[in-house]
Amino acid sequence: MKRLKQFINHDLNLSILIGITAVVLLWSAVSFGTSMFSMRNFQSMAFQIPEFGFLALAMMLSNMIGGIDLSIIANANVVAIFTSYVLNGQWAAGTEGISRVLLALALAIVCSCLFGFFNGFLVSKTSAPPLIATLGTMTLFKGLGMALTGGSSVGGIIPEFAAVGKAIWFGVPVIFWIFLIVTVLLGFIMSKSGFGRKLYLYGTNATASRFSAIPNERICTLTFILTGLLSGIAGLIILSRVNSAKVGYGDSYLLQTMIVCVIGGIDPNGGRGTVWGVLIAVLLMQIMSSSFTIMSLSPYTKKLIWGFMLILVLGLNHLIKTYTNRRTLRLSMKGENQL
Amino acid sequence: MKKLQIDRFQKVLILIIVLYSIFVTIKNPSFFQIATLFDIIRTSSTTMIVAIGLLVVMLSGGIDVSFMSIALFGSYTAINLMISAGINNIFFAFGVSAAIGAVLGLINALLINWLKLPPFIITLGTQNLFHGVMTTFIGDKSFGAGVLPRCLSGFGRSSILNIGGSKLTASVIPVILVGILTWFILYRTMTGRGIVAIGNNEESARRAGFSPFRIRLFVYAYSGILAGIMGMLYVCQTNALYPNKLVGDELTVVAAVVIGGAKITGGMGKILGAVLGVAIIYLLNTTLIMIGLSSSWNDLFVGTILVISVAVTSYQERVRNRNHLIFTE
Repeated sequence: MKRLKQFINHDLNLSILIGITAVVLLWSAVSFGTSMFSMRNFQSMAFQIPEFGFLALAMMLSNMIGGIDLSIIANANVVAIFTSYVLNGQWAAGTEGISRVLLALALAIVCSCLFGFFNGFLVSKTSAPPLIATLGTMTLFKGLGMALTGGSSVGGIIPEFAAVGKAIWFGVPVIFWIFLIVTVLLGFIMSKSGFGRKLYLYGTNATASRFSAIPNERICTLTFILTGLLSGIAGLIILSRVNSAKVGYGDSYLLQTMIVCVIGGIDPNGGRGTVWGVLIAVLLMQIMSSSFTIMSLSPYTKKLIWGFMLILVLGLNHLIKTYTNRRTLRLSMKGENQL
Repeated sequence: MKKLQIDRFQKVLILIIVLYSIFVTIKNPSFFQIATLFDIIRTSSTTMIVAIGLLVVMLSGGIDVSFMSIALFGSYTAINLMISAGINNIFFAFGVSAAIGAVLGLINALLINWLKLPPFIITLGTQNLFHGVMTTFIGDKSFGAGVLPRCLSGFGRSSILNIGGSKLTASVIPVILVGILTWFILYRTMTGRGIVAIGNNEESARRAGFSPFRIRLFVYAYSGILAGIMGMLYVCQTNALYPNKLVGDELTVVAAVVIGGAKITGGMGKILGAVLGVAIIYLLNTTLIMIGLSSSWNDLFVGTILVISVAVTSYQERVRNRNHLIFTE
């Protein structure tokens, strides 16, 4: 019992999150029965998670350094547009079949990294506030996509690429495997590598980390490049699932990625939170939005629920934080009395 | 007499507007007439009001992205009330809409003060919350021109100046009134000085005797009031009411105010700058077709201007800070 208590108190946020997820799963099992708990529903959920999950991971990284990246969705869409121009043969440069797919992938990775680098350059070298800098780049990327496509969707991609979005491996969609692998990899980078440790320190107190000989500018740029890369992958997954790309796809994801980060225990002021929390939060979010679909709620009601949830979770986090702070204070006072 | 103060940043903005106008006139001489000017003023008048409200919020070091939801909430509720009660009075319409805006703004302020988190995230939540509450509990029907109270379209169509057949809309009156009122609050009252002070440094402002809580309440409520007025003005102009308009255009207004030289960390920004920022965006909006580009190029130009202006101003400040050995990142 005591060990359980210790385990729960060790990371209160994560424990509460796991508890809520279990409760939501139970609730959906009771109220929807087989329409929720069927192999088909789980598979369709696994198809929907990755595109949103990658965007959430990107938002998480930018939140960890105390910033925010509004340009992730525009970035994903523009990368998807570039890739589909290559894949439908307009920019293919004479390549065919598998080599064309490879060319498209290379272009997508280079582009998304460049977009991320541009954000990172603005934030680290000119000290522009991340919110405004990425608002600017968001408008810029969107404008790039609009100027290229004129607002219409770009389709007609070759079937070899679209097959990836529908492929299943061991009963689980390939794109979900990709999402899991990248998440685990990112989790290890954040918790075990020197880069991750420096990123946390930079997010906690940038001035202190500068005077601790941490290369602030390089860490910041690298973080934004990673953010760009993750949103580029999200763009590729969107393209492979929807078979076409257009500006303005998934604009409502901005609020949802924000909610996922907050639920997952990421502090928007930077320096706190883990990848695992975000992973569980993404799963929770998908379960909830699947149940909304089963309940056939209107988009307005969904908006109400998401908005209410964001405020509610922020409030709960605040209460938990005050509670833990008080408890720590009380424990330390007790310790002093015993001495 | 004191000279009108225009700083260097605004000079650059005016220069850009003038040069661009000359460029458009050379390309397409039909641009250079009073009707175009009046048209730009008419379409941008609603945005001007919320831009001024947002400027006040940004001066205090916060940000508000829920104002479009508030505008919709206020105007939609007020008009529903007027239709069901059969009231046909323009002042009642604006008054109710502004009052609702003030209440919603106060909710924003209380949440921000309680949670002590970035205002962007909180107002992003309330933006969706307000819109959801409105569409779920008040109604999600659209109203056409026939159902709306007649005084609204009358105000939207009336004009105060007529030069050679082109009319200056009466919507400039609220804009000018709001501009003068905001100028007075910011530069002639203690509250206004307090807004700039907590934007510069909240802790020093607190020790100088300003109450950040009270100022924050005022700032967000003021932004809400202006949003309520703007929502009603928008309905007057378009002469129709939809439950899904306006929401989603917030970031364009943020872009306009930032282009106008307001600093998101607070303490810096001018009313004239915000007005010029809105003017630039609407100028681009209306003239891109005249110089032979489709309107889909709009975002590209706005984004470029925004990125350049942010990069230049932030870099100047960084250099200045580093010279004084201030490391704020």
